[in-house]
Amino acid sequence: MAGTEGDQFLKQATGRNTRGMLRVIILCLIAGAAVSSRLFSVIRFESIIHEFDPWFNFRATKYLVQNGFYSFWDWFDDRTWHPLGRVTGGTLYPGLMVTSGVIYHLLRFLALPVDIRNICVLLAPGFSGLTALATYLLTSEMVTSPSAGLLAAAFMGITPGYISRSVAGSYDNEAIAIFLLVFTFFLWIKAVKNGSVFWGALTALFYGYMVSAWGGYVFITNLLPLHAFVLICMGRYSPRLYVSYTSWYALGTLASMQIPFVGFLPIRSSEHMSALGVFGLLQVVGFVEFVRTQLPSKQFQTLLRALVLIIFLVSFGGLVILTLSGVIAPWTGRFYSLWDTGYAKIHIPIIASVSEHQPTAWPAFFFDLSMMIWLFPAGVYLCFRSLTDEQVFIVIYSVLASYFAGVMVRLMLTLTPIVCVASAIAFSQILDTYLDAEMPKLEMKENGTSEPAKVAATAILPDGLRSTRSPLIGVYSYASKLTVVGASAVYLMLFVLHCTWVTSNAYSSPSVVLASRLPDGSQHIIDDYREAYYWLRQNTPDNAKIMSWWDYGYQIGGMADRPTLVDNNTWNNTHIATVGKAMSSREEVSYPIMRQHEVDYVLVVFGGLLGYSGDDINKFLWMVRIAEGIWPDEVKERDFFTARGEYRVDDEATLTMKNSLMYKMSYYNYNALFPAGQAQDRVRGARLPAEGPQLSTIEEAFTSENWIIRIYKVKDLDNFGRDHQSAGAFDKGHKKKRASKRKGARVLRVE
Amino acid sequence: MPPKSRHTQTSPPSSSTPARPAPSSSSSSKASSSSALDAQDIVLSVWNKYLEKTPQRVKLLDSFMGFLAVVGVLQFVYCCLVGNFPFNAFLSGFSATVGQFVLTASLRIQTNPENKAEFESISTERAFADFVFGSLLLHFFCVNFIN
Amino acid sequence: MRSFPLFSSCLTALSTLVSAELNLSQPLLSKQVLPATFKPPQVFKNANLVRTTNLDKSYPRETINVIIENVDSKPQSEYYLPFESGLISRVGGFEVKDKKAPEKGIFKVEVVEYDTESPTEFYLIHLPTPLKPKEQQTISISYSVLSALSPVPAQIEQSSKQYLQYTFSAYTPSAYVTEKQKTKIKFPNSDVPDYTSLPADLNADKKPDPQKQGSTFTYGPYNNIPAGAEELVSVRYEFTKPVTHASLLERDIEVSHWGGNLATEERYWLSNLGASLKNHFSRVEWQKTSYMNPPTSALKALPLPLHPGALNPYFTDDIGNVSTSRFRPGVREAHLELRPRYPVFGGWKYSFRVGWDADLSSYLRRLSTGESYVLKVPFLEGPRMPEGISYARVHVRVVLPEGAMNVKFSTTVPVVDTAITLHKTFMDTLGRTTLSLSAINLVDDFRERELVVTYDYPWTAGFRKPVVITLGMFAVFAVVWVVGSLDMSIGKKKTA
Repeated sequence: MAGTEGDQFLKQATGRNTRGMLRVIILCLIAGAAVSSRLFSVIRFESIIHEFDPWFNFRATKYLVQNGFYSFWDWFDDRTWHPLGRVTGGTLYPGLMVTSGVIYHLLRFLALPVDIRNICVLLAPGFSGLTALATYLLTSEMVTSPSAGLLAAAFMGITPGYISRSVAGSYDNEAIAIFLLVFTFFLWIKAVKNGSVFWGALTALFYGYMVSAWGGYVFITNLLPLHAFVLICMGRYSPRLYVSYTSWYALGTLASMQIPFVGFLPIRSSEHMSALGVFGLLQVVGFVEFVRTQLPSKQFQTLLRALVLIIFLVSFGGLVILTLSGVIAPWTGRFYSLWDTGYAKIHIPIIASVSEHQPTAWPAFFFDLSMMIWLFPAGVYLCFRSLTDEQVFIVIYSVLASYFAGVMVRLMLTLTPIVCVASAIAFSQILDTYLDAEMPKLEMKENGTSEPAKVAATAILPDGLRSTRSPLIGVYSYASKLTVVGASAVYLMLFVLHCTWVTSNAYSSPSVVLASRLPDGSQHIIDDYREAYYWLRQNTPDNAKIMSWWDYGYQIGGMADRPTLVDNNTWNNTHIATVGKAMSSREEVSYPIMRQHEVDYVLVVFGGLLGYSGDDINKFLWMVRIAEGIWPDEVKERDFFTARGEYRVDDEATLTMKNSLMYKMSYYNYNALFPAGQAQDRVRGARLPAEGPQLSTIEEAFTSENWIIRIYKVKDLDNFGRDHQSAGAFDKGHKKKRASKRKGARVLRVE
Repeated sequence: MPPKSRHTQTSPPSSSTPARPAPSSSSSSKASSSSALDAQDIVLSVWNKYLEKTPQRVKLLDSFMGFLAVVGVLQFVYCCLVGNFPFNAFLSGFSATVGQFVLTASLRIQTNPENKAEFESISTERAFADFVFGSLLLHFFCVNFIN
Repeated sequence: MRSFPLFSSCLTALSTLVSAELNLSQPLLSKQVLPATFKPPQVFKNANLVRTTNLDKSYPRETINVIIENVDSKPQSEYYLPFESGLISRVGGFEVKDKKAPEKGIFKVEVVEYDTESPTEFYLIHLPTPLKPKEQQTISISYSVLSALSPVPAQIEQSSKQYLQYTFSAYTPSAYVTEKQKTKIKFPNSDVPDYTSLPADLNADKKPDPQKQGSTFTYGPYNNIPAGAEELVSVRYEFTKPVTHASLLERDIEVSHWGGNLATEERYWLSNLGASLKNHFSRVEWQKTSYMNPPTSALKALPLPLHPGALNPYFTDDIGNVSTSRFRPGVREAHLELRPRYPVFGGWKYSFRVGWDADLSSYLRRLSTGESYVLKVPFLEGPRMPEGISYARVHVRVVLPEGAMNVKFSTTVPVVDTAITLHKTFMDTLGRTTLSLSAINLVDDFRERELVVTYDYPWTAGFRKPVVITLGMFAVFAVVWVVGSLDMSIGKKKTA
């Protein structure tokens, strides 16, 4: 990049080129800032994969690197979803893994054998730099002011809404998908503006890449047709639209069908039908427009309009019929929950149980977007003022994305780019108005100051003001200029501070490793997860099956390297419900289930000692609900609540609760840690029953240092064919029986 | 037609809103048959105008599009009658036809001298290069998809 | 074959070590194979033999001090020591010295077997000077036996005492007639609940056998024991300490002339061979007892003393950093204390890697000849614990800078395999010269032993890397430039 820039510089050394050079440098700085602000977690903790899903992606990447592309494509993983297994190669979005695999081999080729783990950890920050670049390009297409692009890039680089998913170590699909999303939109705008097949084909290419990387590609699939549709409805059909849309759709759909996981979905499922419909509509409109140019009769035009409408209605009707008859798959459950937030809770508890599928809380918007949340409407308003084709796009995008972000926390991610673009437009408008200068040099300086090092802005601003002496149209007053510019500078600084604070405090925790502060202020690391996973990895047989709630499936697969029953790829609801049933039933019910699934170890997460609230007892109701969905007769959520409808674990807990396997495993032996009767659960603030639960079919195998992870071994069948209950009673009651015998004997003697 | 002049008056040529879309043209033999509902003289006049106004090169493109449309319809009919057993193969064949059709239509639109105002950044040669690029991509995907 | 004493008298201390050990470091694996009918010629007799078995550590250490006498008519220099074939593969650190003059260095030894199915194999000891007829010499043979201790009972409670059992022959194995011998056993403490008692009439003093003295037992003395005689006895004693055993240790030492850095990385595959838990691990019990810090059979920590000047230590395992390590740099010794993620009980395993940097100048010296360098590093570092640690296999790799030539090495550690290969890593074009050494059955006693590597490193080789990188950058720029101008021309043609 620098090379080509240098070339241009050599060929025509003009002022514009120095400006371009400066812009390149600023962009590089922004990218640098974007990358470095995501490295908090590496500095504070270590180079480690975070959370849950990234562990699977990491494992898949390792598989790809070790076994090559083709065996990755056909990968059948028998170490998850025991005993079913999972056709992993056909049920994942391979874009992320292939990207890191390519980077890995490229670096190898350049004699830089970087560890694959480090590539995976640093992939997200690296791509965030590219995202900033893509945002710059997108914004530059929207408005003429070049400062808006740079501002947008800077915003995008450091906004917490995006950082939350792209810190070093969060090796998830979103890491590259947001870059692809923004870049695809940029290419689309470029295509619409130029009406070029070339740009349309590029859009399709990146769309295909996006499809391979993230399920959120459906957002693009629907947004672009919507944009086209709105343009047509506004009477803005143009051949450019025809060229760009048709070339994108024809190529993009084919590209998306190359991914095995997507397959025939683009022509079979309802989510993709709008794109197809608009494609057909454009053909009709295109033809009608062609005919209209030939025959300028007004009546005829109306006739044709009616024709278009009829065709549209007929095809829509056909679509509905096809959907009803089952040729086209109806909307998936996840999609329904986008329209009705209560839907999932009633029908698909497994989707509702995922925390990132919850509706967004209001503070989250301010937390993630800070001051941009009020700049954003201003930017959208500015787009309304001069409504060009591409600005229509901003309006549609912002409306749709705002809605979706409100429905699902996770989709905040799709909102963030447009918020950055819109607020950058608004902000640059403010700056352009109040820093108005006739000298182009000044404007250039202004560009320079609007990059992340905004602290410097205040230093340069007074110079700019002094030089605007000559009378102008607009705001002249020094005082008002100074006030507004000063205030904006303060806001920018506050924004940077906020972003840094949020990043370092909220989003940089790997969640595998917990940090706490010791009384003297030093950092203490609580590493229970890895302690237990490593124990499993070292001290259990290689194919010991581990049963745990699905949240920990990927981590067990990645860190403990042991087969699991269920994991975070929640494709089989029944299997998850089976685990839920085993956890929430009595031992006598659970034991046959566990034997049937060849479970060797059961792993539970217990936060009672440490006050760690994300533990299994707090998630327990979801297990109950999911199990109830399949076995409504055997598992009843009501039984876990007290008569007064409370969810309790202390003395007043219901019998069902106390007898459930999960409860027993969590509190087994726990009261031995406290003086008699003093056992305290620090998460739920409850005092536990004086007598702890007894286990007969499983036995404690390992408990981590802070009791966060407890692992139990499932006992083999009893040697004498007894059930474990009576065997346990026999072992314990042996002495008692003898004692009673002696008593009996004594009585006899007395007689 | 008026739009052209208005277009240049009101807005800068690059990107902002054309108040009314400039004349465009798109044609296919399938479409001409559908408009046959209307009076015969309209069809005739359209046909005549087409014959006299259209350059030879564009006619060549039109005939190619007509051929593609026929092939597409044939494929679809075959699929309906015989069944879509290798669905991959049918789909890639059909989408190759459709894709090629729209690409050719785009080429035709771009090279049409009437649309010069819309596509000032794109010369005829550039349009053809784009067309080749798009077609290459299309057929690459199709071949890959056909198995 | 150069004769050792001749050289040792006239060379300096360092070069003595070099020349002598160059001989010794020849692979022991290339065994001398003799016919099955082979029996060591009865040219010696053991006039007096005292064997000391030390059970202080988690592996038995044997020291045999024996006065040998040549009973043949010709001078003899080949002395055989027999082992059972199953045992010999676990014998490590076999060293023989002249008891009267230990400063003369170590004798040359090699393994001899007569065929694969024979029950006995021999260590062949070459005396540096042949022993003349009727003359006597006192030699001191020392070795340790790995995996020879078995926990009895094999399963214990989490906080109960651990007992180990050691089985051996009361008569020291010998290929020659032994006139007088006895075996001393040193236990770590006096808690020895079981031991084999031999009938008193075997004993030369007609006393009860064994004799007890605090924590030391003595079997014998016995008179005139014929060659190959065996009398198995076993002792069981308390050893409530971890029996730490590394099935593999990989040790990489990387020399960087540009950075002036010596990077060391060690990868351990540890296991505790002690008694396994009868019930499963109970955290409650562990937390309760850990306040009192009682002796336990679990491995809780590995103190790793490093040379002074060690920097940037790290302690990781397969799933990342282990946060429970402490590093205390010191003037005399830098101390790194590693704590495994979990206490390693008997039967459990723990693998990890640990590494650190050090200033190269304290390990590397440039010879006056110009382009030659001498590197002196410890062959083995690793944890230092009172109960000791044993290594089944040790692979040491010394990665020298790219372009290093004429690599020679010397060490007093018995090395079984050596190779010089190329190791390709960051920004290498040819690959770095790498010296790989393998040793088997080592114990922590070998910590102090040194490895001396000499190599030639021409100054031109040092500039290979910057030159290659610069050329690469130029190539990239050139390609970008060409592509850039190419793009332009196509654009022009198109727009024309």
